[in-house]
Amino acid sequence: MRDLDSIPESPPAELRFRRRLGLVSTSVELWTNREVVRSLADRDFRARYKQAFLGVAWAVINPLILALVFTFTVRRFANVETEGVPYIIWAYTGLVAWGFFSGTATGATNCLVNNQALLNKVKVPRETFPAAAVVLAGIDTAISMLGLAVIFMIYGRLPHTQAVWVPVIFLVQLVFTVGVALIVSIVVVYLRDLRQIVPILVQIGLFATPVAYNISQLLSPGWRLAYSFVNPMAPVIDSYRRTILYGYPPQWLYLGAGALTSLVLLVGGIRIFKRLEAGIADLI
Amino acid sequence: MPTLSNGRIEVNRVWKRFRADRRRPMLAEQLALAVRRAKRDNPWRWVLRDLDFTIEPGEAVGIVGTNGAGKSTLLKILTQVMYPTYGGLTVGGHVGALIELRGGMHMDLTGRENSLLYGSLMGIGRKEIARRFDDIVAFAQLEGAIDRQVKFYSSGMQMRLGFAVAAYTNPHVLLVDEVLAVGDAWFQQRCLDRMREVVQQGTTLVLVSHDLASVQAMCHRGLWLQNGMLTDDGPIREVLTSYRRSVEEFSSEHLGHGGSVGVLKVEVGGEDGRLLVSHERLEATIELRSHERSRGRLYLGVSEGPGTPTLLVSTEAILEEGDTKVTCRIDAVPLPKGRYYLWMCMESVDDDQLIPWHPAGTFDVFGPDLDWAPLGIVRLSPVHVRSNWEFVESNGHE
Repeated sequence: MRDLDSIPESPPAELRFRRRLGLVSTSVELWTNREVVRSLADRDFRARYKQAFLGVAWAVINPLILALVFTFTVRRFANVETEGVPYIIWAYTGLVAWGFFSGTATGATNCLVNNQALLNKVKVPRETFPAAAVVLAGIDTAISMLGLAVIFMIYGRLPHTQAVWVPVIFLVQLVFTVGVALIVSIVVVYLRDLRQIVPILVQIGLFATPVAYNISQLLSPGWRLAYSFVNPMAPVIDSYRRTILYGYPPQWLYLGAGALTSLVLLVGGIRIFKRLEAGIADLI
Repeated sequence: MPTLSNGRIEVNRVWKRFRADRRRPMLAEQLALAVRRAKRDNPWRWVLRDLDFTIEPGEAVGIVGTNGAGKSTLLKILTQVMYPTYGGLTVGGHVGALIELRGGMHMDLTGRENSLLYGSLMGIGRKEIARRFDDIVAFAQLEGAIDRQVKFYSSGMQMRLGFAVAAYTNPHVLLVDEVLAVGDAWFQQRCLDRMREVVQQGTTLVLVSHDLASVQAMCHRGLWLQNGMLTDDGPIREVLTSYRRSVEEFSSEHLGHGGSVGVLKVEVGGEDGRLLVSHERLEATIELRSHERSRGRLYLGVSEGPGTPTLLVSTEAILEEGDTKVTCRIDAVPLPKGRYYLWMCMESVDDDQLIPWHPAGTFDVFGPDLDWAPLGIVRLSPVHVRSNWEFVESNGHE
């Protein structure tokens, strides 16, 4: 038996527990657990559409309805410059891109909080949960892009060759979206109010981002650059339209500004996530 | 990180603290917290203090302790879902946890979909789990229901599915938390059987349970946690003996008050004051004081510590006002060598507690030890009986 009185009141400071928080080790760990990400995304995808009569069609119907609403509201009262592209295509393109971001943000808000029981019991890198939220939103977006293809066919149009830039634009959007997902998913564990706040912010974002309107009609170039730093989704959506619909290359200045913000957000997001993640099991 | 041989656990001066006031993660609380932090008023509470031990590969270790002693926290740290505040730990190889997973299931998915998910969360691929799938389904007894949505399962079926996946992950270290508290008797035995298989394959086992009999049946070594401190670490029988003794001491401080009949004196021993030996007569002498004429039933129980007796005797009793000396003799006591506790109570005809159920004294029995039970077989209470064995060869050779 141990003499319990020999145990000090508090531990010596040099014993403080430390973990590796590096960017590289985080990425490697996430990659080795890609199958977990797949399983989580697979589970949520199946669960989401399991008992819906229209099933995955909702991924198309959702942006389509919004595009129609915009047609009958924004389009009617404002003269939106679309360079001759039918407004419904123009709006739907923006909504598909926006849907990937908003779907991720909403999914990430709940991904850790809704999986408390797992997080408390199974050792699995916590990054896999926001990663799965990103993948899940990506699947939905891919399905809604099928809807875009159908609309293109109905109007007898083809994407312009400038659409080769789309992967680059998507990379900027992905970096931004993952950064937001990491921050939101972990901070909500400590601040449950965020569960209410995030949906409101996403709704505001839909109108603060040029999804339904053309930003070049509203802001001067200088202000557009400043706004691209604040909201990277603005140059991202504008670039998608320029390349796919108009046939111009992206405006690199604005996209670059958005990319810079996105990168800062991603690096900061990983830092914040790893720092706060250690306390999850203590809290939930 | 230094590599560690598979199945070895090194816990190196681990400390863990929680906030004493379980803060809720809401905006207002966080603000209040920030204010308090600024005032340097941090109400931390240590739940684990300076734990320091090593578990070798293949050991079967039981962790015992009262509620709130820190067992579950320790297990979470070993599972590595929770990090220590101070100190360090290394666990060699793959860790599996046999724990209640029901809460983590997705109700809208089928049993099959859920088990594939758990498999990959626990580090085994979809292919691997598909290969063991039949074993898992058979273990959980879900043959007809595996493709049904989990929300249509009974709670027992949900629990069995959770365990079954965990039980077939073949880890280097298996952590088990209170499995034996859930499921019916038959399923409990299957869990014990599975644990035994795993231990025989050389897996390290760490078992947390309040069911001391099964801890004793599964484990060779015991760790006793008390208020977050490691009080005892040694062979399971010795650790359990001292743990039971402390439980009894605690009970006797907190029970045994408030009846209308007082217990003045209790003596237990062999016949005519001799030492008590197994299979001889036990004699208990009890002096009672009653303030009025009381009628009821007097119970005497013998246990290894907790208030669940191995054997129990009772008699009709009428106590006149004043003091009464009661002598109870039990012939041929079937107890093996050890220290036991005499519990007693008295209930009136209309179920009033004249004496509450409480440990009234201890006594020692001298004699033979119990025979060993096979690994994984739970012997509920220590009863010693004499046995005779005869082997007759009858293989046909004249």
